[in-house]
Amino acid sequence: MIETDRDNSFDPKCVQGNILRGYHYARVRHLVLEVVNAALARRWLSQATDGSGAAPAITTEEEWLIKPASCFNLGFTYDGLKALGVPNASLASFAPEFKAGIARRAVKINDVGESAPENWASPFDTPDRVHIIASVYAEELEELDRVERQVADGLGGDGFAILGRHDGWNFDTDHVHFGYRDSMSQPRFVGVHDSDSYPDKQPLVPIGSMLIGYPTEYQNIRYAVPQPDALGRDGAFNAFRILKQDCAAFERYLDMAADSLLDDQLGEELLPVGDEAKFGPDTSRHAALREIIAAKMCGRWRNGVPLELSPDTPCPPEPVSPTDYDYGDDVRCPFGSHMRRCNPRGSTIVQRAARHTRRLVRRGYPYGGRYDPGKPDDEERGLLGNFICASLAGQFEAMMCDWLNLGLQDPRITGSNDPLLGANEAETSWFAIPLKSGRVIKLRGFPRFVTVRGGAYTFLASIPAIRYIANLER
Amino acid sequence: MAERDMARHLVDAVIADSPDHKRGTRPAHTIGIGVKGHFRASPVARDWCVAEHFCGREVEASVRFSNSSGSPVQHDGWSDARGMATRFHLSGGGATDLLAMTLREFFSATPEDFLAFAQAAIPRPVEPPRPWRKIADMLRLFPPLPDPYPGQRTSSVGGSMAYSGLHSASQLAAFDASFLGAPVSYARATYNAVHTFIVTAPDGTERYVRFFWQPAAGVEMVNPDLPPIDNYLQAELRDRIANWPVEFLLLMTVGEMGDPLTDPTKAWPLHRMRINMGTLCLTEVPDDQQAHCEQLAFNPGRLTDGIAMSDDPVLIARKAAYELSRELRGGAACPFDAV
Amino acid sequence: MSVRRRMNQLVPRRASLNDLVNSMSKSRLFGWLAGHVLVPYWARKTPVHKQPGGARATVQPGDNVQRMMNLILPLKDKTAVGRAKAAMAIASNLDEIYAGLDNVGTVHFARFVIIENNMCMISCYDGDFSNYIRDFVAQLGTVFDSVIALIEDGEAMIPTRDNIDTFINWVHDRDVYQIPDTATELLHYGTIGQPAVKSGEVADLRLIARALILQLHANPNALLGSGYRGYPGISAARIRDKMGFGW
Repeated sequence: MIETDRDNSFDPKCVQGNILRGYHYARVRHLVLEVVNAALARRWLSQATDGSGAAPAITTEEEWLIKPASCFNLGFTYDGLKALGVPNASLASFAPEFKAGIARRAVKINDVGESAPENWASPFDTPDRVHIIASVYAEELEELDRVERQVADGLGGDGFAILGRHDGWNFDTDHVHFGYRDSMSQPRFVGVHDSDSYPDKQPLVPIGSMLIGYPTEYQNIRYAVPQPDALGRDGAFNAFRILKQDCAAFERYLDMAADSLLDDQLGEELLPVGDEAKFGPDTSRHAALREIIAAKMCGRWRNGVPLELSPDTPCPPEPVSPTDYDYGDDVRCPFGSHMRRCNPRGSTIVQRAARHTRRLVRRGYPYGGRYDPGKPDDEERGLLGNFICASLAGQFEAMMCDWLNLGLQDPRITGSNDPLLGANEAETSWFAIPLKSGRVIKLRGFPRFVTVRGGAYTFLASIPAIRYIANLER
Repeated sequence: MAERDMARHLVDAVIADSPDHKRGTRPAHTIGIGVKGHFRASPVARDWCVAEHFCGREVEASVRFSNSSGSPVQHDGWSDARGMATRFHLSGGGATDLLAMTLREFFSATPEDFLAFAQAAIPRPVEPPRPWRKIADMLRLFPPLPDPYPGQRTSSVGGSMAYSGLHSASQLAAFDASFLGAPVSYARATYNAVHTFIVTAPDGTERYVRFFWQPAAGVEMVNPDLPPIDNYLQAELRDRIANWPVEFLLLMTVGEMGDPLTDPTKAWPLHRMRINMGTLCLTEVPDDQQAHCEQLAFNPGRLTDGIAMSDDPVLIARKAAYELSRELRGGAACPFDAV
Repeated sequence: MSVRRRMNQLVPRRASLNDLVNSMSKSRLFGWLAGHVLVPYWARKTPVHKQPGGARATVQPGDNVQRMMNLILPLKDKTAVGRAKAAMAIASNLDEIYAGLDNVGTVHFARFVIIENNMCMISCYDGDFSNYIRDFVAQLGTVFDSVIALIEDGEAMIPTRDNIDTFINWVHDRDVYQIPDTATELLHYGTIGQPAVKSGEVADLRLIARALILQLHANPNALLGSGYRGYPGISAARIRDKMGFGW
């Protein structure tokens, strides 16, 4: 194979639109489809690729002049490809972790205990029936309903059974449960126009880290293209995850940790007496400590300001960029914080060979009503997450098993899990907050705040690939 | 079930497992030998646990080695678990105990299960397996059932095996028990404290840990192909202590996320972080064994500041059962939680 | 002579029959019978799943550091010339290999051993197996290919960097099966089509012995348990950090 380093010659018309850019709609609906009649399902797919017939047209990477009322994209599981009649030789050419499916990789990504697949909610408790995740993005519920009807009626209704419907919405612009502002930065790609362009100290990502068939961040490695090329090229893989967030437990833990740091020497170093004022007028010491702990655990203040650029206050006197930084020592942003673990940026890491190789496109929408700490309730809430990459094993799973959990990338955090998303148990969890003096606050006793309720490894096939599937004859 | 009632049931069940049990003796681990010595903490022990005996000063120790049977008849050479109960004597007349055995895990995860297990393990008459049965087993690639020891009329092995066949929690202990053998010396076996305890470090950090004793002389078992000798362990220990240093290393393994913290039927992997907590040096077998051995009543729940019980239900039940057993046989009292 | 007495002479008394059976179990004849007849018979009658090689996936940090890899790669050329070629392929690329292992960052020890016309790569590493192999291949580029070219069934993998997933699988298949530390886990392997022990059924713990035999029939090479560690639970980088070597 001839290596052309800057080969990113993909055609935007051929690539699904939810991979390289964010749509920024207020709402999403993920429909879980089972193929019940492969021939009809294939005919419906054919309509979706060319916008003919009743099926909603699949949104591509092509630039638009006027933003459409909704966007529509499809992810296929391995069982889905099989159900649609993809030949065995093609199926065999997919990466092993995709063939296994997310449920069989559960231990590797620490989906254990309450998060184990046997405890997942319907329809993810029958993973072999989860064939397609069809995602609709729109501003209004009515539009989601309209597109859903396009899936449920006509050919679609006969080809598929809708097993599940998962709605997400931005209840407060970019804020997610636990109160953090999210969705501020995504990888930017070599040679791809970025409509959200913002400054960022991270190197541009070769397109092959997201789209299959192009050079990757590893100088020597391309991820294999599932065969034939028409099926595999220009696709991407996605880890779709339903992540339940225990807001009450999180807020309770912040209270507890802040309590333990009141009247404590280390607490005084963390928040010198008088610095409460930096958090706003009338902010109590307890409230300020809670915010510091929340920020240290995440790597950002809850309002989105990065700790690296504003270590002492969420409201720096001069505005700071939410994205344009690299990490320095751990006094500003702890090595173990969620963001730094999942993407160490330019920091030194143990696995030097793997630097910058585990980037992911993350697109998430909260689900469930906004949590009101004054009125705790039993409603389930969390995040519907898409974690997109060219290799689930090389990027998503590698990040999950060695970095988010275990913490191999830095010897000072090895043996601990991500404080926000990690598979923690109160008996053994720990999180270190280094202080300027060299002393360290070690927080312990936090439970697993985020539980997995379901998910699927899907293939975000290219438009030609969906046409290829649509044209398969049994 | 009230704690006291459960303790009563447990003691009765253990006594029932030894039909020739003599009133006034220990219901299990009846035959043993008391030894005196001292324990010296390692230099790092204090970093992990604030308990007095881990903080540098050498403390006196009383140890009782035993065979696990509740029968008054001694069979040193039979394959069985051995016990090593240690009392660390602390300042002000206080004490803390550590009870360990050669088996790496317990048979049951709850006291209720243990009652059922003990019921199943009531000794039944044994005969050598029939030769045709052995041949059939060999043809199935099963190890043939062993012959009873010469003179052995009853055994609890069949009952406990049958029970563990149906109760997966007991399987590991039952399987490991079949390989126990007999040590050449009480001082040449590894003893596991099995239950999880919570130790507190100077900075207040609490850790879930398990302890085990490792013999400095190494582990050695008798040749199982030779006829078993009924009475040698006590004489061997006296001779050894008179002529050789007898030392045990106290090792502490630290539990991790995902480890069974409160289930004594599950041994932790051998590659958990392992801390050298100190060395026990045994120096003397007291002549007055009645006072230094039989009168002592050890209890896995007798702890001191810096070591606490985990929520292991068997450990909790053992605390009450050992105390009741002590009362029943008139052992010397040692108040709990002397603080 | 009465029939009864004659029978007594022909059929040994039970005690001595027992002795005979006991000695039979240790006899060379039975050993041969077991290994050459009984094992193949049971392996066909109750076939077991060949368990995958390498360290198992677990969540405990202590299980995820200091994991053992034992690759056995059969040399194509099973003469001294072939073995020498293999030795030279390593020796002439030491810089590449050492720099690669340093940059992977998670390796405690690694060594290459030739045993019985196999190139054995043995290492102790932290973290996930496929991450380790992927990073290593990315570092070594073509050097790895020159080694793999000497191995049976290796050619299809070359160039390894263009077949990274397939190659990781290929290597994983050649990583020696690791017998679990907890013997009773063998009970759950089961035979193809059914578990060894159905729920509610009485498990004869002696099944463990047969499960082990049949697994070692399917997997002739094995690592016995997870192996001893002198300083368990610590990553390579943590040791370098604590010793002041820098990582």
